[in-house]
Amino acid sequence: MTSHEKKLGIVLLIIVLLSYIIPYMMLSHVASWYGSFLFWSIAAIVIIIINYLLTRDWGDNE
Amino acid sequence: MSTTMVWTIISIYIVIALVIAYLSRSGKQTNMASYFLGDRKLNGFVSALSYSATTYSAFMLVGLAGLTYNGGVGAFGFEIIYFMGVSLVALFGPRFWLVGKKYGYVTPSEMLGDRYNSKAVAIVVSISSCVFLIPYSAVQLAGVGYLLQGVTNDAIPFTTGVIIATVLAIVFSYIAGMRSVAWTDSLQSLMMVLTSTVVVILIIRGLGGLGGFFGALETNQPESLTVPGNGFFSFTSFLSLTIPWFFFSISNPQVSQRLFMPASLKSLRQMLMGFLIFGFIYTVVSVVWGFSASIMFPGLENADLATPKLLSSELVPPILGAIVMVGIMAAAISTIDSILLTLSSLFARDVYGNIKKGSNDRKQLTVGKVIIPIIAVLSYLFAQLELDLIAVLSVSASAGLIVVVPSIIGAFFWRRGTAPAVWASVSISGVMVILLEFTQTTPLGLGSGIWGILLASLLFVSVSFATTAPKQKANEFLNYLKTEMNTLKKSKSKRNVS
Repeated sequence: MTSHEKKLGIVLLIIVLLSYIIPYMMLSHVASWYGSFLFWSIAAIVIIIINYLLTRDWGDNE
Repeated sequence: MSTTMVWTIISIYIVIALVIAYLSRSGKQTNMASYFLGDRKLNGFVSALSYSATTYSAFMLVGLAGLTYNGGVGAFGFEIIYFMGVSLVALFGPRFWLVGKKYGYVTPSEMLGDRYNSKAVAIVVSISSCVFLIPYSAVQLAGVGYLLQGVTNDAIPFTTGVIIATVLAIVFSYIAGMRSVAWTDSLQSLMMVLTSTVVVILIIRGLGGLGGFFGALETNQPESLTVPGNGFFSFTSFLSLTIPWFFFSISNPQVSQRLFMPASLKSLRQMLMGFLIFGFIYTVVSVVWGFSASIMFPGLENADLATPKLLSSELVPPILGAIVMVGIMAAAISTIDSILLTLSSLFARDVYGNIKKGSNDRKQLTVGKVIIPIIAVLSYLFAQLELDLIAVLSVSASAGLIVVVPSIIGAFFWRRGTAPAVWASVSISGVMVILLEFTQTTPLGLGSGIWGILLASLLFVSVSFATTAPKQKANEFLNYLKTEMNTLKKSKSKRNVS
């Protein structure tokens, strides 16, 4: 694994873990759109950004 | 929904899809890679849409909406964690692609067989894929039957729906192999995401805008906006559901095989990014869909009726409802035809190719083409039989296929992994998953997928330590990848400097 992959991979792993912990531990009483629904939506967008950064180097060599 | 309207839209869909499939033909498909991998020349746009269509079966707008109807926002979390798992493509994608090109792999199990230097590995892995994926296709086929029967009030009988889906899946696979599947998939997913988004916008508007929509949820069913909420998504069931799906992008051969197909790494990147954007929109749409049904039709006995109810409601124009309905049927077909192609290539390459002496690429292609309708008919018969075992195998497909994950990770990141470790982890853990599912046992409240990956990892590591690794192949394979992955990074830095 390259160092670039390791760094972003760790960030990714943390977000996945938070996606289990935060809704179940901290948002279980927030019965509104700004509770788990918003949290998971933001987490998904962060994941899209990480994937963008992870794949920036991929060129068009066939 | 009127039967004439449904038939008309089905006919229009078939005609357009056939024209697109026909136009997708290019050159002569005389070898395995050209037929099953689209010559490794798929562009990023088609790859992204086709990957989405294959991944998102009819499950999304029927099953996920139903899960949201029953369990609330936990269904959204489940699908988002699956979505996060697709990031594995960023890690494994370039590696699959590089070795696929260098060694000419057509199937993921062929890659494992070569990497672990054992034909038996390829055979065991491909047979385990067939055991879970044929029943999975059968259930998709049955889904089409029930859907058409349901929306037309039995005017289109179950068997007719199943036959239509089977025939179309065979035809789309046959016209130009992966090319026709990829192009018809693209048509289907583009149409689906557009029409279902329009439906959601209409429904939200009908419910008084976003404020009215969330307001209704907060007042009438506040528990649906939290987890565990009404208890449907307890933490252990959430974990049991999400873990197998997190690994879907590398455990399921019909999607991991896609990593061999893009024309360049840039196309692979477009495939991944395109899928992520598509997937996010589609997930939000399906979940909002389920929530809307729970606001408009509380108390349905069967949550799978949420979607048909919503589409027949006065908020959705009948023609749009019928188009989305046929789109859901097309979504099931686009998943089945990809699975058909993948399983045929697995059988031809890994089972026939390794067992039959003197088999070459051309003979494997012939066998692959012959096997496509056989697998389709087998799925059709399973769908008709409605056996308990078939349902069990289908439900356990994501859990059953997860057992190959340690072997795949090992192939790319652990020189010490061995062939006997792959046989042991895939076959023993696979059988355990089937037994747990069949007896409905959930030790410690955890589902079969979690036990599957734990046992598979344990067996893979321990048996690897007890047996001899194929050192020469492992070094050659991994050193090649190391050099290539570092070059990728350097060439980018060089471009930035100049």
